[in-house]
Amino acid sequence: MAKIKKKGTHGQAKNYITRTQAVRKLQISLPDFRRLCIFKGIYPREPRNKKKASKTSTPNTTFYYTKDIQYLLHEPLLAKFREQKALAKKIARSLGRGEVSDAARLEKNHAPKLTLDHVIKERYPTFIDALRDLDDALSLLFLFATLPSSDHVPHKTIALCQRLCHEFQHYLIMTNSLRKSFLSIKGIYYQATIQGQDIMWLVPYRFVQRVNGDVDYRIMATFVDFYTTLLGFVNFRLYSSIGLRYPPKFDTRSDENGAELAAFTLESRNATEGMKAIGSSKSKAIENSKTEVSKDVQAKVDKVIKSAGLDQAEDEPMADKNDEESTDAIDRFEPAAPEADTLPQPDMSGNEAGALFAPFTFYISREAPKAPLEFILRSFGCKRVGWDAVMGDGAFTHDETDPRITHQIVDRPQLPEGSLPAVPAVAEGSTPKVKPGTRIPGRTYVQPQWVWDCINEGKLLRADLYGPGTTLPPHLSPWVKASRGGYDPRASLAEQEAEGEAEIAEEEEEEEEDADDSDEEMADESVSKKAAVAEDSEEESVDGGMDVAGTDDDESESDEEEEEEEFPGVDEAASESDDDDEAARNQHQRELEAEAAGLPFSAGATEESSKKKSTKSKKLAAKKRQEDEELERQKMMMSRKKRKLLEKMMYSNKKTSDEAAKLRSKRRKLEKGDKAAKK
Amino acid sequence: MDARKASKKRKAITRDVEEEAGVFSGDELSAENLDGALSDNNNELSGSEEEDSDSEIELIDDFSDEDDEEDEDELDSDELPSDTEPETPKLSKSILTDHEPNFRVVKDANGNDRYLYDEINPDDNSDYSEADENANTIGDIPLTFYDQYPHIGYDINGKKIMRPAKGEALDALLDSIEVPKGWTGLTDPSTGKPLELSQEELELLKKVQMNESTVDGYNPYEPLVESFSSQLEIMPLSAAPEPKRRFVPSKHEAKRVMKIVKAIREGRILPYRPPEEREEKDETLINYDLWADEVPRADHVMHIPAPKLPPPGYEESYHPPPEYLPDKKERKEWEQTDPEDREKEFLPNDFGSLRRVPGYDNFVQEKFERCLDLYLAPRVRRSKLNIDPESLLPKLPSPEELKPFPTTCATVFRGHKGRVRSLHVDPTGIWLATGGDDGTVRVWEILTGRQLWSAKLSDEDAVNVVRWRPGKDAVVLAAAAGDDLFLIVPPTIAAPEIERASLDLLDAGWGYAASNPAPSGADALKKNNPPQWIRPSSELADAGVCAVIPLRYVAKSISWHRRGDYFVTVCSGASTPASVAISIHTVSKHLTQYPFRRRLKGGGPPQTAHFHPSKPILFVANQRSIRGYDLSRQLLVKIVQPGARWISSFDIHPTSSTASGGDNIIVGSYDRRLLWHDLDLSQRPYKTLRYHRKAIRAVKFHPGGRYPLFADASDDGSLQIFHGSVTGDMLSNASIVPLKVLKGHKITGELGVLDIDWHPREAWCVSAGADGTCRLWM
Repeated sequence: MAKIKKKGTHGQAKNYITRTQAVRKLQISLPDFRRLCIFKGIYPREPRNKKKASKTSTPNTTFYYTKDIQYLLHEPLLAKFREQKALAKKIARSLGRGEVSDAARLEKNHAPKLTLDHVIKERYPTFIDALRDLDDALSLLFLFATLPSSDHVPHKTIALCQRLCHEFQHYLIMTNSLRKSFLSIKGIYYQATIQGQDIMWLVPYRFVQRVNGDVDYRIMATFVDFYTTLLGFVNFRLYSSIGLRYPPKFDTRSDENGAELAAFTLESRNATEGMKAIGSSKSKAIENSKTEVSKDVQAKVDKVIKSAGLDQAEDEPMADKNDEESTDAIDRFEPAAPEADTLPQPDMSGNEAGALFAPFTFYISREAPKAPLEFILRSFGCKRVGWDAVMGDGAFTHDETDPRITHQIVDRPQLPEGSLPAVPAVAEGSTPKVKPGTRIPGRTYVQPQWVWDCINEGKLLRADLYGPGTTLPPHLSPWVKASRGGYDPRASLAEQEAEGEAEIAEEEEEEEEDADDSDEEMADESVSKKAAVAEDSEEESVDGGMDVAGTDDDESESDEEEEEEEFPGVDEAASESDDDDEAARNQHQRELEAEAAGLPFSAGATEESSKKKSTKSKKLAAKKRQEDEELERQKMMMSRKKRKLLEKMMYSNKKTSDEAAKLRSKRRKLEKGDKAAKK
Repeated sequence: MDARKASKKRKAITRDVEEEAGVFSGDELSAENLDGALSDNNNELSGSEEEDSDSEIELIDDFSDEDDEEDEDELDSDELPSDTEPETPKLSKSILTDHEPNFRVVKDANGNDRYLYDEINPDDNSDYSEADENANTIGDIPLTFYDQYPHIGYDINGKKIMRPAKGEALDALLDSIEVPKGWTGLTDPSTGKPLELSQEELELLKKVQMNESTVDGYNPYEPLVESFSSQLEIMPLSAAPEPKRRFVPSKHEAKRVMKIVKAIREGRILPYRPPEEREEKDETLINYDLWADEVPRADHVMHIPAPKLPPPGYEESYHPPPEYLPDKKERKEWEQTDPEDREKEFLPNDFGSLRRVPGYDNFVQEKFERCLDLYLAPRVRRSKLNIDPESLLPKLPSPEELKPFPTTCATVFRGHKGRVRSLHVDPTGIWLATGGDDGTVRVWEILTGRQLWSAKLSDEDAVNVVRWRPGKDAVVLAAAAGDDLFLIVPPTIAAPEIERASLDLLDAGWGYAASNPAPSGADALKKNNPPQWIRPSSELADAGVCAVIPLRYVAKSISWHRRGDYFVTVCSGASTPASVAISIHTVSKHLTQYPFRRRLKGGGPPQTAHFHPSKPILFVANQRSIRGYDLSRQLLVKIVQPGARWISSFDIHPTSSTASGGDNIIVGSYDRRLLWHDLDLSQRPYKTLRYHRKAIRAVKFHPGGRYPLFADASDDGSLQIFHGSVTGDMLSNASIVPLKVLKGHKITGELGVLDIDWHPREAWCVSAGADGTCRLWM
């Protein structure tokens, strides 16, 4: 017989350790433990059997792997934490003695410096690993870059976040690796592809962030510490991979003037040959000598020169240019026949992305968000972006009347001429003001959404749909893949409807309308009664009262109807031929109900509708019923386990399809409403 | 002479300060090591002053004489010689020669150099001896020898040492010279006249010379006022001995001072300058490539990377398609639900244009929650099944392929009062026999539902079971009502010749029974004695009953052997003795036997029994198990344990043993289960089906194996029809497909359908309901 093993020394009891035990084992405080876990990326685990893993009967416990904690024991950061603790004691002591200068000195000179380099190397052994995990880092850092400084968030951290984010954006601009972007309610989503890794992050709109009480900035600050180090290393690697010097030159004065991205000057690694890739395109790019500057840089230089040359011949049609460039790009295969399979093709490459806005000069109006627009335009090849002087430095031009501008991004409503205020007299030396609302000929005016839709589509869209003041086409997320059973707003309604869905819906609607009519009548009656009893303001009560009553009633009615339809399915097995009887009975029932409600029952109309219903929807219902029966029969033969699995899957599928059906019905109504409006 | 003068002066002085002499003498005593430079004077002094020392110099004696004359000085001078010891010239010489080598080199016996040192005179070896040129060198001869000479000896250089002047002469000389009062022998440089000092001035000078305070009346030795007492206190503040540092200069301080001095000298310590702001190095600046030598490392097996946030959908757009906007109801619902329970944390909203988009309120909150999730949420890997649910469904033949099977109620047989307990379709498939609570047995024409014949077997007892004899050569119906079994040949329904054949078949046994005499009276009284078949009463005989078997207990089940010669009855009542519960009856011999003496093992009284359709095996079911007995070998061959609590009925697949070699049994139980047993597979069920909500009363395979159908009847008033096909292939299991639920019987008194039977040729079935009707389903 094998040796009897003692309880609690093997298996789950040994593999898992509760948080309290872990803290005790590491001999650090709970906040320090939290920091350590954040830095080292250690997270709790869910044991298969909680009862076996825990030694106590407390139900809510967090478990960690014992091995993970063991691994934390050897962490150099742990020693640093202890040093910090010792220092804190010393400072507290000197403060207690009133030796403030001593405390200040201790704090200044003896504070242990935490470096997370080794942690990053450990967590991300390769650069690709680091890229893979960049989503959260970017989202958080972009958020912190917009936060106001407070005692929780020191200005240094914010400045660092801003610097890192801008550096990262500059890399994306240089390599044209931004792929997609999306304007959501929460903020602006961006997606870039770097070395084959898709990185998506969310940048909030520039408003002061509202903070609820239960946000612990210390936790976030710990994450920010880690992420800034990570992004710093990533930036260094990215910059050096395209032969740029890191960190790029940072012009503090221009940053103070709100230049943001333009405050940075990228330099090639070869110090003698400064290369100003961004900023004004007028800067002369010096040809690199035959040193080992990467091909990318060479390509950039070529592009800069080309764009400089383009300045003279701007009228040159862009189609020609496209023809020149797209020789080695992958051709897009469009299926000729609808029934053929479509093979997946790669997304647009950096070159394509870089050429999208290359020939244009943009001017961003005051009311449009400058920062995201500048970033997107630049990363899709636009070299000349101008904006109003109030929006900061670094513009290609501050002059709205500049004749080189081809596109202007405006986001203001069309107002009648008279309502606009008179233009103040132009002061000498300042750029001439354009009267708001006027249009300069030879220029395309678009709303900001045009830029986003263009880059998501990968091609230039019709600008007239996005003209100022027009109702924009819906802005769609570029990441939603059409799935089976899901709803696709791009496709037409007819394509995705199930067989006969439209007809059923139509009939239902008609019925609802009938109900509505009757309801309306009723409401009218009630209203008139009301009016008679108490002199109410008529308009209000008519509108409000009728609406509410109408909606409520038809919902309940439709519900009832649905139920009624469902019920016969149960005893269908007994009598298939009962349908007609049933219909008759239903009819009778309805009559009775109407009578009870005190309504004049229009026998003819309902009969007609019921007849209609009996044609097609009945067939469909019968078919559906048959399918259900068949499914039931199949389910009966499955084992319990499989049946549960099936039900789960059916549940989720049903959810999506229900959702889709709901959306379709809404759209149907809307379309119908549109049609009616047109008439 | 000068010396003498000096001595005189000194004497005079000493005289003046005679009371102080003790103090000075003490000082001189202690100062033993006077310098050599002073020694000359000393020598002179000694030469002049010392008189009674034990030295050999006679001159001193002379001096002493002199001194004697002087009055009180003696005491002082007495003490002096001891300290300023006069040195002998020899000694001084030896000291002088000290620098020369004080040895001689001679050859010893071996011829080596040998250093011979002078002998040292310990007496004379004094460091204080000094060479004295004026010393008398006459040696150890009395001075009296020179009395007549003016000199008294010779010095070291051979010069005469003149006899010093005698007292009288000196006095005479001094007397001859008159010294004015206050004479100093000095000239006042201002006047050019001899400087004369007054008595006061002299006093002052003397005081200055003596380092005394010049102020009159100053007492340096005033009594001490003890501010810090030298006396030991009785209760001192500290009993600790006085530490050394109190009276020793601090070495540490000296060191520090020296250090500072040194630093100043070397220029290390400079005048104060305010500390300049150190250029803070930006630690956040990255200046090296962390992944310069990257080595891919596979993640730990148990590592679960944090899931990425899903990309935004259409509804999150600032300007979504209108169908994504919530209507009033949805909005209200969203607002009313708790924020934690909301499916989405935001409501889709259409802002129309970008300038109208406000900031998102919960941005920081959401990011914070994400942070919490990253480090606080336990991660579990969940494999998400992304397969089509259709693929999970078993591939079943469509009901069309399985047809025919009964679907609708074709005929309803009404006539019985009370429940219809049992029914059976005759082997030809024309008649249906039923027996019910009203004690009648009725025969119906199946297709029309017309009652052909009926007989009341018992007034009070119900007919529990009716079974046709298999085989088409005769029409014999076995029925059990009350304690008796009846064998009936229903008159006028069959062709006359078949009827006659049937009657003959039953009558043949009478003769056999007569040839075998009945057991004696004692035996007849015995309880286990097999009953004798008896002729029915005339009433019954008229109705068509041919034989009656008084079983003495209520038989609940009858099952014929396929050849029609035997049938087995089971009296399942709990009060029935085990030995008589199961009986086998032989028609041709009118013989009844009890094959089992003891109760069957495995729980409860026997419930039902069937003969195997092709083998000589009798299956007997008690409440929980079914046992198969080989009749020819009289052995237990099979035990089946369906796992049901109370078996109600079972049936044996009619052809499977011939087709596939294995038996298949279906078992119905009162605990709502229908079990399919493959006897070759296991004694446990192959499939357990639970589709009924009430007890299952009867199960039946379609006889003859023409249609792979089976059906069960339940108390919930429904019949369920299944497709159960057994293939000849040993590897494939039986496939069971549920086909149809037949509903029509009304539930009366908690009972629904009590019995079921199949039509022998068609896919029809008949069922007996507790509502007094029978139904034909086709």
